[in-house]
Amino acid sequence: MDTSSPAVFVNGEILKMYLGRRVRAVVQVMRNEGGVIIGQSTDGYQLTIKGAQSLPLSHFVEVIGVADGNQSIRAEICTDFGDNFDTVSYNGLCQLANGKFKNLFL
Amino acid sequence: MARSVTPGAIAALLANPTPDSPLEIPEIVVQVVDLKPIGSSTTRFTFMASDGAMKIKAMLPTHLASEINSGKLQNLGLIRIIDYTCNAIPNQPEKALIVTKCEVVSPSLETEIKSEVKEERSQSDVKKEEYKSEVKKEESSILLMPKQEIVAKSAAQIVNEQRGNAAPAARLAMTKRIHPLVSLNPYQGNWTIKVRVTNKGNLRTYKNARGEGQVFNVELTDEDGTQIQATMFNEAAKKFYPKFELGKVYYISKGSLRIANKQFKTVQNDYEMTLNENAIVEEAEGEVSIPETKFNFVKIDQLGSYVNGRELVDVIGVVQNVSPTLSIRRKSNNETIPKRDITIADDSNKTVTVSLWNDLATNIGQELLDMVDTAPIVAIKSLKVGDFQGVSLSTLTKSTVLINPDLPEAKKLKSWYDSEGKGASMASVGSDIVSSSRTGLRSMYSDRVFLSQITNDPSLGQDKPVFFSISVYISLIKADQTMWYRACTTCNKKVTEAVGGGYWCEGCQKNDDQCSLRYIMVIKVSDPTGEAWLSVFNEQAEKIIGCTADELDRIKTEEGDEKYQLKLKEATWVPHLFRVSVSQTEYMNEKRQRITVRAQAPLDCSAESRYLLEEIAKMSIS
Repeated sequence: MDTSSPAVFVNGEILKMYLGRRVRAVVQVMRNEGGVIIGQSTDGYQLTIKGAQSLPLSHFVEVIGVADGNQSIRAEICTDFGDNFDTVSYNGLCQLANGKFKNLFL
Repeated sequence: MARSVTPGAIAALLANPTPDSPLEIPEIVVQVVDLKPIGSSTTRFTFMASDGAMKIKAMLPTHLASEINSGKLQNLGLIRIIDYTCNAIPNQPEKALIVTKCEVVSPSLETEIKSEVKEERSQSDVKKEEYKSEVKKEESSILLMPKQEIVAKSAAQIVNEQRGNAAPAARLAMTKRIHPLVSLNPYQGNWTIKVRVTNKGNLRTYKNARGEGQVFNVELTDEDGTQIQATMFNEAAKKFYPKFELGKVYYISKGSLRIANKQFKTVQNDYEMTLNENAIVEEAEGEVSIPETKFNFVKIDQLGSYVNGRELVDVIGVVQNVSPTLSIRRKSNNETIPKRDITIADDSNKTVTVSLWNDLATNIGQELLDMVDTAPIVAIKSLKVGDFQGVSLSTLTKSTVLINPDLPEAKKLKSWYDSEGKGASMASVGSDIVSSSRTGLRSMYSDRVFLSQITNDPSLGQDKPVFFSISVYISLIKADQTMWYRACTTCNKKVTEAVGGGYWCEGCQKNDDQCSLRYIMVIKVSDPTGEAWLSVFNEQAEKIIGCTADELDRIKTEEGDEKYQLKLKEATWVPHLFRVSVSQTEYMNEKRQRITVRAQAPLDCSAESRYLLEEIAKMSIS
């Protein structure tokens, strides 16, 4: 298993701290624009996911890729999580994984 | 501060065995020798009281036990006797000293004080002159009496001798020495107590191996607030049931005491009293010195933790709603009982429903219905807490209801209601506990513990079972255990195979060709802190295994052992939320912890994650 570059759990706010790094985020699909998904992060920011195939609206998708802008991710892997997802818990996870318990994740 | 014992102290105590008031008692300091607990009790102690020359067997009542347990009153230490009684011990020539009040004068002196005087003095050698010269008197002269005949005299007899033909009421009021309830013990028979009946049970008939009988009990409270339960059987029950009235004050004597049975204790007292036909019960005229019913109110929003427990609660609240009387049919004997539900609210901004049964439903219930527009305050004592609709309160035969009582809490509630409560929209406390989903998920988050918290504490559930919620993975279901029992299709009780075929149910008293299989098994579970074995019954086992016991038996017999074991394997490493009860049981003289599953709910990842986030946040604060 390649652990050389772990993907950081991010939401809209934390994304900008990891520009150029591999990140993972769950966003809710708001718009599909030919190869680009506009999604809402778990803390309400609007993120642009480049290089992603079209996915059903209001489904949650996990994006793993490289953060290439304050509010955009260049997607490598996209996984459809369906339409039932607890954004509150995920957001809590992002905060803990980058705060108190960063050493457990990175 | 005295540094040594008062010479002749024991003689002085014996010379005046029942001082009428503590003022009569001279300065008496004795040394505590041979202090030891009675049996395995931590509240009752006996010792020898020594004055250097004589020793007398002595006892300390339970309320002084704290002095010993805290280390203040030590063996070989000195105590000043402030109030006491000397009593004859049945079958023994010596008397015993009951110390009702004392003061610790000195900690352990390390050695026993022994004066040079010969130790052969017996109690009969007490001399008036010696006593007079050696004992200091604080107050007016003590009534000295020569050596007494050790004859147990009833209060009535003594009173008779002392006062002759005074009128009974006057006699009682003037000469009866009232003993505080706290000083009563089985070794002292000549007492009289003045108590108010704060609770009166119903006259019940019972049947046991020895035949039939009648019993009822009362709860008695004295001036100091000490309570004791008194029980009467058969003739005594019939005699005193009409005599005792709730709320009235009585003088009682010639009862007997014994250690209270912890299982049935309803009041805080090591002892309980029994009155037989020879007991004396006399009503005290015009007595108001004993306080009325003592309440211990629980705020409505705190009721959650009492749900399904055995502890009874008291509540006080503003009546918002009174239902009409309903007739409920009792399943066991088809009797119909009246019931009325009232909704009360308090300043915790929550409401709760109280079910009034029988007389309370018809009488008090009607009263409340008539005055419901005035928002009356109602105080209720001894309610059972159930889990209907989350939290529900129910009256028992011993419950008492007071309407608009003259209590400070009632006044507080009235002013709260007039200012804010009236307009406030309040939620039922039960709705916090019951979730919209049928599995009652919310309760799986109350009293949440880890397995190690249960297994590390063997004393859990000693008196009554304790309830917890746990979130665990099933780690093992043994294939070769007895998984089910044959049950009656009607009442679910165990059936036995009848000689002529079919199954016999003892409860229904009938034979049946069919029976159903019901699960009864143990499973092993794990969580991050450890493992435990849980007992599981049919309902929850069905959810765990995923099929009925009959179905699993069918798989075992028709599809083979492998398929059966596969079914069990599929249930393994599945997470569950369980509501469990923990109790202590004895098995082959060993105390064992038994954890039983009472309810099951699937693990809701979203709710669980939020719960965990909250717990993590709490960890950061502490």
